[in-house]
Amino acid sequence: MITVHAQYQSRFREITRVEKESFEIAEPSMAALATAITGKYGPAMTALLMDEDSKSLNSRGTLYLNSKGTRMYLEDGLADGETVFFMVGIAGG
Amino acid sequence: MESRLLRVNLTTGDCKVETVPHAMFERWIGGSGINNWIMWEHFLTHDVNCDPRGPDNIFVFGVGPLAATGSGSGIKGRITFKSPCYGIFGDSAAGGKFPYMVRFAGFDYIAITGKAPKPVYLHLCDGDVEIRDASHLWGKNSAEAHNSLVQELGDYPSLAHTLTIGQAGENQVGIASVVSDASRIHARGGGGCVLGSKNLKAIAVQGSGGVRVQNPRGLLNWSKDFRQKIDQNEAIYGFKRRGTLGAVEMYQHIGSHFWRNNQGNMFRGDEVRSDNWVKKYHKYSEVCSADCYIACDGRYKLDGTESEKAKKYVGESFRRPEYLTTASAAGALDLRDWAEVAHWGKVTNDYGIDNQDLSTSISFIMELEQHGLLSARQKAELFDRDNQSLEWGCMEDVEELMKDMVFQRNRFGKFFHDGPYYGALRYSEFRGQNFMKYATYGKGGASFTEEMRPFPTWMNNMAVASRGADHLKGIGLIEKFQRRDLSMKYFGRLEAADLSTPVLKGACTAVVENQVALLNSYGVCLFHWMLDPGGYTPEDYYGRAFAEVTGIDRTPEELMRDGERICNLEKAFNSRLGLRREHDTICERWMFEPCPEGMYPGKVAADMFETVLDEYYEWRGWDRRTSLQTESRLKSLGMDDVADVLAADGALVRA
Amino acid sequence: MSRTPQKELVTGAVWHPPGAEIPDVDEKLYALSNQCTDCNICEVACSLVHSPDNMVNPLLARLKVDHSPQVGRKAVHPFGFAADICHHCGNPPPCAEVCPADAFYYDPKTNVAVIAQDKCIQCMECVPGCPFDVIFVAPDGELLKCDLCGGEPACVDACATRPEMNNAGKQYVRAPVLFHTDTAGYKAVLQDKPERKDEVGMMQAMLEAGTVSSAA
Repeated sequence: MITVHAQYQSRFREITRVEKESFEIAEPSMAALATAITGKYGPAMTALLMDEDSKSLNSRGTLYLNSKGTRMYLEDGLADGETVFFMVGIAGG
Repeated sequence: MESRLLRVNLTTGDCKVETVPHAMFERWIGGSGINNWIMWEHFLTHDVNCDPRGPDNIFVFGVGPLAATGSGSGIKGRITFKSPCYGIFGDSAAGGKFPYMVRFAGFDYIAITGKAPKPVYLHLCDGDVEIRDASHLWGKNSAEAHNSLVQELGDYPSLAHTLTIGQAGENQVGIASVVSDASRIHARGGGGCVLGSKNLKAIAVQGSGGVRVQNPRGLLNWSKDFRQKIDQNEAIYGFKRRGTLGAVEMYQHIGSHFWRNNQGNMFRGDEVRSDNWVKKYHKYSEVCSADCYIACDGRYKLDGTESEKAKKYVGESFRRPEYLTTASAAGALDLRDWAEVAHWGKVTNDYGIDNQDLSTSISFIMELEQHGLLSARQKAELFDRDNQSLEWGCMEDVEELMKDMVFQRNRFGKFFHDGPYYGALRYSEFRGQNFMKYATYGKGGASFTEEMRPFPTWMNNMAVASRGADHLKGIGLIEKFQRRDLSMKYFGRLEAADLSTPVLKGACTAVVENQVALLNSYGVCLFHWMLDPGGYTPEDYYGRAFAEVTGIDRTPEELMRDGERICNLEKAFNSRLGLRREHDTICERWMFEPCPEGMYPGKVAADMFETVLDEYYEWRGWDRRTSLQTESRLKSLGMDDVADVLAADGALVRA
Repeated sequence: MSRTPQKELVTGAVWHPPGAEIPDVDEKLYALSNQCTDCNICEVACSLVHSPDNMVNPLLARLKVDHSPQVGRKAVHPFGFAADICHHCGNPPPCAEVCPADAFYYDPKTNVAVIAQDKCIQCMECVPGCPFDVIFVAPDGELLKCDLCGGEPACVDACATRPEMNNAGKQYVRAPVLFHTDTAGYKAVLQDKPERKDEVGMMQAMLEAGTVSSAA
């Protein structure tokens, strides 16, 4: 088991109602974290986080970064204590 | 597909209606593509090096073929002209109901030349045109002029919708904007100045006509599919509520804002750092234009209870700020109260002035003050008054400086009315001291209030955008959001999504510029595409809607070539004006000062700048040394006629 | 402007003699005016499907986003516009009752009252006759009334959902500004789809508060 932290912004925070929280996950992977989050928050979070067609993280209008500023994908590993930021990805205006 | 072009010569008062033939749509798609061509043709018979504020400059308004057809993709009107502030190609898009109504009034394109002897406005109604006296409108701000026109024109055959200029345009401030329906703004490039120089205060349209669609059933099906894709997308659902303000928190996290003239890249005010503001102030949404399934815009109304500073603006109501309104106010000027940010959006709109160039001009002066480079005497010389305070985050100072600019009251206003680059040049010359390292600008001297040092494609955008430093021509989404899926789709490799390498970053600019040129030519909003609900693309998914409306059925590859052709015409215009590789550059701060903070500190644009620029030219098929277009590439795009013009001007490379 | 008569999208024609018992329309249209964003797509879609010559013209639509709605009316957006849409009153509707030319017939599938353009004498009696001001006059004088597109209204297909309605992210199923449903089904939703309960509850509350325009 490792502990990882999730931090939510904008639309994500609107669904979770918390700014950050920690998850204990068995597998040290982004896939395990995504499963834990969608399991906790239900269909709205699943629709926001997952792409049903390609069975990967939804990449449209979103941005998930680790603490080094690199985008996370389902197959990426996670280290104990790592924080993943869940953000809305739009630019300009 | 056919539409109508109205040509107005304000010097003689001649109005002429021409048909825009189907072949024009085949070649230039519509919207900005056709606008560009109208301007290009104009400058074949007029001096391209003319004074942009003179009667020889042309002002073109156009809408794309998807406008007012219920496609749901958001209508944008486009203005195209030779920019008075940067002296190069200029164009700008905006919503409002004007681009919707102009089609029902019987015109898709309006080309204005000459100069009226006294202030006038144009009235277009069901195919008829009238040049009318505007002396009663002159001196009014953009919203007052709009309201006055709507009232006097009544609601038959329809309510009137307008393009107006504010006092900035009347006073021919270089960075003045054109305002659509009192609240949406064609901000960049100085279109308002061009209209002001022509003594044209407004264009008002009313109409009861129709717009023909080639295949209505096909379009309705496309549009239903589009709506379902949008409504099923959770990220867009958040966007519907927040609009571009949804970017504030993400930008804060990665360090992508533009704080105090880009001395930092994160907001400091507790309130402005979060988009919780939206819930607090904004209750109802409204579309910014028409035909939009997203409707990310909304309004605020201040009752004075929101904050201490909101008490100054009790009763004020306007469209709520967009991201760049916030970036210029909360970032460049460090205003920390939302009420002030919102008020900044309203006043820049009312005066009709670009908040990017205005905020960076003001923040340039504020930074000089911060470094102790302005004595009391020097400030009095600039402002014609004693004791002008220049304090970061002080709205009173900002408003004073804004009025200096809009009403051209003093040296500050006159030096900086073409933006921070020319302002800094003039001021450096005036003082006999070089202050250029405090000016933030890119191509053409245009400024932009976002951090770009960690993002190679953005940095490249700032250097090559045809209308001067800007993100919207080749917006670097693949790289900024590290989209490996898009990198694979367009390049078959992953590097475009990797921020640490310059590889494929120039290629990204080239590809996305072509796509954006297509969207701008369809005449739709970029955000529907940017949010990418179905993983679709302008050359593919939108291309089908374009086919249903116009009957022009193209493969995605053909449409990408159409986009490339449009970009090449903009480039050719700038080449005729003498722009070469040395003009594709960015300011010292961005180039050599390390990125100060955020997620990617220490990045210096110079590390990757030249490599990315080389790659961009390579993908474009342009000459690397001069940046000029090559004969072979232009011919392969079917632009032989353009190549001939460039050759005559010595702006073509025979290769 | 189109001189061609607008086409009706109905599934057939039924004429009832005066005084005859006519079944009510069981498909209703609703408009949540305070959720409307003024995007005009409903008008454009309506005019497009009813156009005989592929012309879009919002002035030929059978519904309207009204920018000068009656003062004192409840169902007005706070910014001063209202989505005006036919309420499909109980049959025969007031517009048909005042018609001196007996130009109204009924779509056998939906029981919607439709104006027969060849019988209409364009006297415009039905315009003030409509209690909700939703009979519109085209620029060429033709009277325009919603025909429910034979049961599949194009305006509903074209109307996007709004986040203001979803109680800060709690729910996932949402409704657009315009929607139609048969009244029985509308009631059944409460039992069959509990996840929509809040939304229906909200609409019910809106109906009671008078913020939803519906004759249902």
